[in-house]
Amino acid sequence: MTNEKEFIAQLLDPKTQNIAFQKLLSDYQKPLYNHIRNIVLNHDDTDDVLQNTFVKVFQYLKSFKGESKLFSWIYRIATNEALTFLNQKAKLNGITSEALQNKAIDNLKADTYFDGDEIQIKLQKAIVTLPEKQQLVFKMKYFEELKYEEIAEILGTSVGALKASYHHAVKKIELYVTSN
Amino acid sequence: MKAFKLENEPKIQTGFKTPDHYFDTLSAKVLQQINDKKEVKVIPIYKRKKVLSLVAAAAVVVTLMIPVVNNYNATSKELDEATLETYLSYQSNLNQYDLMKELDTKDIDKLNKGVALEQETLEDILSSNPNIENLISE
Repeated sequence: MTNEKEFIAQLLDPKTQNIAFQKLLSDYQKPLYNHIRNIVLNHDDTDDVLQNTFVKVFQYLKSFKGESKLFSWIYRIATNEALTFLNQKAKLNGITSEALQNKAIDNLKADTYFDGDEIQIKLQKAIVTLPEKQQLVFKMKYFEELKYEEIAEILGTSVGALKASYHHAVKKIELYVTSN
Repeated sequence: MKAFKLENEPKIQTGFKTPDHYFDTLSAKVLQQINDKKEVKVIPIYKRKKVLSLVAAAAVVVTLMIPVVNNYNATSKELDEATLETYLSYQSNLNQYDLMKELDTKDIDKLNKGVALEQETLEDILSSNPNIENLISE
């Protein structure tokens, strides 16, 4: 924890800010990329959202109170950015968020930055049928392999509720894959 | 069909890839964006202040000009007919004969056409006027 406090102090001190922010970028870019890509699905959108996320992290650092961990605070910004992006894109196209995600999954087959096969596509299609919260929980637990405690901090829910959400999500996905 | 169980399956990967060297250039792009935002931030505050003060000055000038413009319009207007009539009949020394002197044949023709008296009205005037003989002799 002291390390984190020191790191935050470095991020806020104009003298050390640049070096500290470079470190934050290199530590978080890959996991955050995966987190956002799992939500918005295609690379170009992920690139936009990821850059916006880091810019916001930099802008709001001053107001970071240290009440939560830096890790969960950054993940929360990324999650909000990705979800807002999806909703705005759906609105622009005049379709629902679910329809937009289905379209994105159909586009995956032709995506140069996707090398999955049938089962990956089917799994993504199954995930889209879930409520938003369950989608997030499933992606963070199954694909990103985050701990329940970490997910709980990011999403602001209890570990118990998350376990139940994940359990429901898995059941629904298994049912979908079996019947399709 | 065999029931699908996630835990019995080998781990399914997302299948997502990134372009080569994507992460090598990402931090530079982010830092560039942050610097751009920093520069942009300074300009609008200064600009807004300047524009605001200009707008305020213009508004003050326009407000101050309202009475001037109103007065200008009022004085430049020609006298209206009612005022002129009142002046001529009550304030001037003009009498009937002065007016008659100013009339030429054209004006008299116009008057004759304009004042079309009805037969009855004419008779009324003639019968009720005691100086009718004077009028005839004139």
